[in-house]
Amino acid sequence: MSAPRMVIVEGVRTPFCKWNTHFASLGADELGRIAVDALLTRTGLDPVLIDEVILGCVCQPAEAVNVARVIALRAGVPESVPAVTVHRNCASGLEAVTLASERIAAGRGSVFVVGGTESMSQVPLLFKPGTAKKFAAFAGAKSVLKKLGALTQFRFSDFEPRIALKLGLTDPVSGLNMGETAELLAREHSISREEQDLFAVQSHQRAIAACEKFSQEICPVYVNGQAITKDNGPRADSSLPALAKLKPVFDRQYGTVTAGNSSQISDGAVALLVMTEQKAAELGYQPLGRLSAYAYTGCDPARMGLGPVSAIRKMGRSAGTADVIEINEAFAAQVLAVLKVLGDVPLEKLNVNGGAIALGHPVGATGARLVLSALKELQRRNGHRALVSLCVGGGQGGAAWLERD
Amino acid sequence: MNNIHREIVDGKFCVLKFDQPGTKANLFNLETLTELDGHLRDIASDYSIKGVVFISAKERVFHAGADLRILEKMNIAGLKQFLTLGQEVFGRIASLEAPTVAAIHGACLGGGCELALACDYRIATPDRVTKIGLPETKLGILPAWGGSTRLPRLIGVTQALKVILGGKTPAANQALRYGMIDAIAPRELLLSVALGMIKGNRLPHRSGWLRLPLPNRLYSRLIAPLVRSRTLRETRGHYPAVLKAAEIVMASAASSEKESLARERLALLELIETDACKNLIRLFFMGERVRKSEGAGMKPVERVAVMGAGVMGSGIAAWMSSRGVRVILRDVDPKFLAKGLERIRKSFGNRRVFTEKEARDGMDRISPIATEVPLDHVDMVIEAAVEKMEAKQQIFANLDRQASHIDTLLATNTSALSLAEIAGATKNPGRVVGIHFFNPVHKMQLVEVVAGPQTAPETVQRAVQFVRQIGKLPVVVKDSPGFLVNRILVPYLLEAGLLFEAGARIVDIDEAMLDFGMPMGPLRLIDEVGVDIATDVTATLAARFGDRLRVPGELDQMVSAGWLGRKSGRGFYVYSGGRKIVPHAGMDTLRRSHTANALDSSQLQQRLSLLLANEAVRCLEEHIVADAETVDFAMVMGTGFAPFRGGPLRFVDVFGLSKAVDELERLAVKAGPHFTPSPLLKQLAIEGKRFYED
Repeated sequence: MSAPRMVIVEGVRTPFCKWNTHFASLGADELGRIAVDALLTRTGLDPVLIDEVILGCVCQPAEAVNVARVIALRAGVPESVPAVTVHRNCASGLEAVTLASERIAAGRGSVFVVGGTESMSQVPLLFKPGTAKKFAAFAGAKSVLKKLGALTQFRFSDFEPRIALKLGLTDPVSGLNMGETAELLAREHSISREEQDLFAVQSHQRAIAACEKFSQEICPVYVNGQAITKDNGPRADSSLPALAKLKPVFDRQYGTVTAGNSSQISDGAVALLVMTEQKAAELGYQPLGRLSAYAYTGCDPARMGLGPVSAIRKMGRSAGTADVIEINEAFAAQVLAVLKVLGDVPLEKLNVNGGAIALGHPVGATGARLVLSALKELQRRNGHRALVSLCVGGGQGGAAWLERD
Repeated sequence: MNNIHREIVDGKFCVLKFDQPGTKANLFNLETLTELDGHLRDIASDYSIKGVVFISAKERVFHAGADLRILEKMNIAGLKQFLTLGQEVFGRIASLEAPTVAAIHGACLGGGCELALACDYRIATPDRVTKIGLPETKLGILPAWGGSTRLPRLIGVTQALKVILGGKTPAANQALRYGMIDAIAPRELLLSVALGMIKGNRLPHRSGWLRLPLPNRLYSRLIAPLVRSRTLRETRGHYPAVLKAAEIVMASAASSEKESLARERLALLELIETDACKNLIRLFFMGERVRKSEGAGMKPVERVAVMGAGVMGSGIAAWMSSRGVRVILRDVDPKFLAKGLERIRKSFGNRRVFTEKEARDGMDRISPIATEVPLDHVDMVIEAAVEKMEAKQQIFANLDRQASHIDTLLATNTSALSLAEIAGATKNPGRVVGIHFFNPVHKMQLVEVVAGPQTAPETVQRAVQFVRQIGKLPVVVKDSPGFLVNRILVPYLLEAGLLFEAGARIVDIDEAMLDFGMPMGPLRLIDEVGVDIATDVTATLAARFGDRLRVPGELDQMVSAGWLGRKSGRGFYVYSGGRKIVPHAGMDTLRRSHTANALDSSQLQQRLSLLLANEAVRCLEEHIVADAETVDFAMVMGTGFAPFRGGPLRFVDVFGLSKAVDELERLAVKAGPHFTPSPLLKQLAIEGKRFYED
């Protein structure tokens, strides 16, 4: 007896917006709620049928830990339905999809809401551990005099914040910032600044051209009386000369990686409805496609950008046979390095509607967006096979193979 | 004699538990009051009892006070006896040697609240069902079992006036702020906290020097003239109970308890005889009947789709969501949805009504959608799109497929269009019904449930039950232009416009009707509704009642001048933001004659009120609603028609039917045939009958 196959029935995402722009006031829970709510409204699914809600999120809001559960309840999923938040860094959104398929294969449920959410705007500033200790001492002081005493212990330097976003984007094992790992790949694989900038301009141009197409997968977000219906990352005026003016961020002396040829830091959320093929037929849904293979691999944390290479190889499908390919654009240098090493990726099928350099990379949500965008493009092209892959901070790769009849 | 259970706890504390059999509430009548008296006599003579706790076994009621039904039926002698007995029984509580605590969960109203006030201490649960207060003045009477005497002594005269004159019934946290209760405790611990209080070590501290006897007395003297003039101004002399209550509350500080109680009794006996009191009590009972759920077994509505995110659509969505219903809010353009959601967000932003969490949950329950989505799993669709027949028909035609489940009710919020015509666009008109909310939705309690010729009886019943479920007052009306409320209101508004056109001053017209007892003058009301909306509704009505509907010319001129009322800053009045509203001088050029400028206030009143009442009679004649009481109830709840007058038909009863016919016939000659008295009115006048038998 073969295990039941998982299909993706439908998906929506919020627009992806650059951090501290339209969605600055919305937490990851709110963004996720909007996506899940829109998914349930559009599909008309009775939420009682859901077996579990699985969402990826890298920096969970401090006030909504296990953010998937918070989102599920706020979106009207019954209390009796469990929810879990998953974390595989940049592949968290993909992890949610593959975990659901594992649940299904194991016979542990047939209908899942999966996806990912991230508010990079609301990643907090932190106090140093020493400062926190002083706060605790102050709170614990019983008398006014003792409180005053505790206050005198504070120094100015105590209030210098630790930026959690920066900490999160640094690999603690290799000690390298994500951008520095990209610099390493650029050097080792001799990828020039011009190659990277060219790749970035192309990403913007494709994303601008795909604006109409994206409206099929975007649910508007309503903020302060405004309807946000589009991604705000893609720039119509992106050009080589403009990108050439930017200074390298991670290696100021010899570097080639700039803010312009890296993914944008963004806010956004994605929700997908997945179920067994049989359940979809029962409920009368016309699926977008099915997940037929996937793989995760580990690699050198300092060269995390090469993660897709090993993941795609392990999955055992050839990129050449895919109709649509989405490789996440963490950095232009990193994608170009992957292409060089793999050697058989048909460029005309790669990131045809742009990628994270233009659209942004809300880390927990991106994996699910790649699945959604690839499936919608497959539908538009009437194609049959899509390859989705990402590099993962900390030295991993993730890949998935989607099929459509 | 088993309405109250007595139990001794820990050997020395007595718990009196109210649990009237066969009902959800506890009420005082002669029997229950006597029973309580018996218990109190026993307790007073039992020196082993060291404390008494009053508590209720009911889920939602601590004690709802005197049974108004017997109040209505009693003669004066019986009433006097009942009143005296109540004062004596509560006096017995107050004079018990042992400490007494009222442990309140659920409604604690009127006589129930007065019982609590007679105790030494009061504690209450924070639950939503817990309401503590004295709503008597809303019924044209006043707290006369010691409430008007004890409350000012407990919380000071200023706060007591606020509670008693406003007929307020605050929740526990607000009652604690007023000082009406001493502590809040969770329901599970209510009794043990009450017992703990009696045991002595947890007696709460009461603050506020103004409630101490001397300052209280001086202060009441100081504010008395102000309170008097303000109350007179606000009630325009129509609500004697409010005035009487104010006098007694203010005098209580300076007099003995005995004197004050005597004043309470006297005042109540006087008030109960007034028309105002009778009318208010009648409306109260009508309201109770309307709220009472017959279809309690029906499955509650959980999901509703609202088509249209305009002012009405978003208002309806917000209200339903605040009542726990999940709402799909559909409009064709995300821009309209953004505006609608912003309106909803603002309405949830009122922190006096919604906590932050309630507001967030309320917003979360609304799913905005700008594309066509399946509606097979919603219980009801409410269409609130533009008032254009083709648009509505198209929506309903689509609903056949979109909301294919046969049990899904299809409702329209149209205010004037024909339900039958709208329903004609669907394959199954039996499930189409009108659910007409009034604007602003969160303020207007009345909802007209429109039964079209093809609407299935079960559909009407479910719609009525749904309206009750979301805490509104349903009135079933026939499918006829303007239904009930707008149909009666529009001729009245137009007549105000005609009077203006004929030379009457804006302020004179509006003041006359405020004096009559309306919450707002008719010209001001046109401004609030919007001049454009008013002309639109008029046009629909004119199509059917053209001969009776005289439309003043200035309305169209106002629309073309952009003077649309409050929303455009200019109408009959000028709205310059803030509170200042002055008559709009520019309107003077729109007058046609000066024949009406000689009319005095009572003539204006008579003309406007009789025209309104005449249309109300026509509605009764055409069986738009079931009976006279429903007409009156709907007009009071839907338009604020002077409640103390009991509604337009009750008003005609008091005015005199023959006199009304004579006046209308006189006006028909003088001011136009639209005053011609309705056949039913004439017939009843000839037969010497009235709308109410009493």
